[in-house]
Amino acid sequence: MLHIHDLDVFYGHIHALHQVSLQVNESEAVAVLGANGAGKSTLIKSIMGWEKPSSGQILFQNEPLDRLPAWERVKRGLALVPEGGRLFGDISVADNLRLGAYLQPEAVIRSQMDMVYELFPVLAERQKQIAKTLSGGEQQMLAIARALMACPRLLLIDEVSMGLMPILVKRVFSVIGELRQQGMSILLVEQNAYESLKVVDRAYVLENGHIVLEGTPDELRQNPRVRAAYLGG
Amino acid sequence: MPFLQNLSNALVLASTYVLMAAGLTMVYGVLKVLHIAHAAVYTIGAFIGLLVFSWLGNFWLALLVAMIGSGIVGVIIYRTTYYYMLDAPRIVPLITSIGLFVMLTDLLQKGFLMGPYQRAFPAGGAGMPRIRTSFISITPKQMLVLVVTIVLMTLVYLLLTRTRIGLGWQAASMDRDMAAAVGVNLNRVVALNFFLGSALAGAGGVLVGVYNNSVFATMGDLVSYKAFIIIVLGGMGSLPGVIVASVLLAIVENFMVAWVGYVLPRDAIAFLVLILMLMFRPHGLLGKE
Ligand SMILES: Nc1ncnc2c1ncn2[C@@H]1O[C@H](COP(=O)(O)OP(=O)(O)OP(=O)(O)O)[C@@H](O)[C@H]1O
Ligand SMILES: [Mg+2]
Repeated sequence: MLHIHDLDVFYGHIHALHQVSLQVNESEAVAVLGANGAGKSTLIKSIMGWEKPSSGQILFQNEPLDRLPAWERVKRGLALVPEGGRLFGDISVADNLRLGAYLQPEAVIRSQMDMVYELFPVLAERQKQIAKTLSGGEQQMLAIARALMACPRLLLIDEVSMGLMPILVKRVFSVIGELRQQGMSILLVEQNAYESLKVVDRAYVLENGHIVLEGTPDELRQNPRVRAAYLGG
Repeated sequence: MPFLQNLSNALVLASTYVLMAAGLTMVYGVLKVLHIAHAAVYTIGAFIGLLVFSWLGNFWLALLVAMIGSGIVGVIIYRTTYYYMLDAPRIVPLITSIGLFVMLTDLLQKGFLMGPYQRAFPAGGAGMPRIRTSFISITPKQMLVLVVTIVLMTLVYLLLTRTRIGLGWQAASMDRDMAAAVGVNLNRVVALNFFLGSALAGAGGVLVGVYNNSVFATMGDLVSYKAFIIIVLGGMGSLPGVIVASVLLAIVENFMVAWVGYVLPRDAIAFLVLILMLMFRPHGLLGKE
């Protein structure tokens, strides 16, 4: 459903992505693993429309996204859990969720809200709380919940485990696993190879803006290079 | 009695500040542009209002047309200038805005528009009642300013807090990119923002024109300096901040003049307040650090 061909992205003279090609199939969960500065966020931002690639193509359900602003991409079924959450800090949890479903009709908003409150009961208790006063873990959950409100066809997740304590990392990845079980297509970019490889169907390894490996979780876990760089030997 | 009287005078002054500064702070909130040319929109509003009033003799119709007209002027300003500068360094739209303000004010002074003179705007109090008790007296004109301001600001508040596009507007003023990534059409939100802000400024121009019974091409100058003070005091981008700061500034100006006399002219007092504020609370009264 998502096909990326030979994508190049520059920041001034910095060449952040080199000829990146990858794809995500319908109902598939895919991880892109990479160290700090590998270009993971750049990839996600290009798909969402926050960065402009200088060449290459991004096709979503066979339609080129290149000329579409971010909100048009949302209309076509993309939703984003950005790095750091980027909640709307000054408004309530419920309003953040409502914004997640900005393009959905009122009835869908209500049913999606029930759904995400069931998934994250702690958010239901804190509906009226101002988002920026949530704890780091709660904020991360709200960021995921907000993206789910849009009923996405493809969920983009940028380092959801960053800065969370291990037990919350497990919780968040188990939610991603559940979503995949339900058949949602997911592209997640991560440094945490160990947890990511447990929940995805396929993964790519991104180094200095180049895709250097691709395979199933089992294949990658066997790969000496991956073991050394991402799985602690 | 002088206390309450000063208070009611201050609130009338505050109303005109609110109408002018609301649009400025809204534009700043979403675009981070200091929209200097907003002062010209205020004058254009007064001018349209006067034209319609001299033609039809109905104040309310004049106010409505002036608001729609200034709203459209605001949107045109955005689409022909700032729209192309969203990713440019902030100095670019700022300089454009200054140029635009000078150009529009000059244009308004041409003979085929307002010319270089003052015109009367004899709408009186538009049928508003006079209130006179033993401790306070409010003239119909003052009532008109207060009532129109309160009604308009309430409507804008409801629009921005109770509707979906209002929620999108709030999101865009917190994080523009993230708002776009949940589906908020930024073009639409920004256009709405300019329309509302400019319509409020237009209403302000009409009300001040009627209140002073005078409309002229440079009437926006002084009030725009004041509006800058107010949006800084209010904490750049905060609408409640604008209201608090407007009331505060108007009260300080009025009471200083009444009690301290003319030691300092009132406009100097306003800037003194700004400087003190910047020294002690640089992020404004309700602004974020
Ligand atoms: N706005 C920018 N201007 C200049 N360089 C940038 C910009 N954003 C990213 N870069 C550079 O591009 C490269 C890729 O950055 P990116 O944020 O995509 O990395 P990442 O893989 O997400 O890293 P992390 O794991 O730390 O989030 C880095 O070298 C970074 O310094
Ligand atoms: Mg990143």
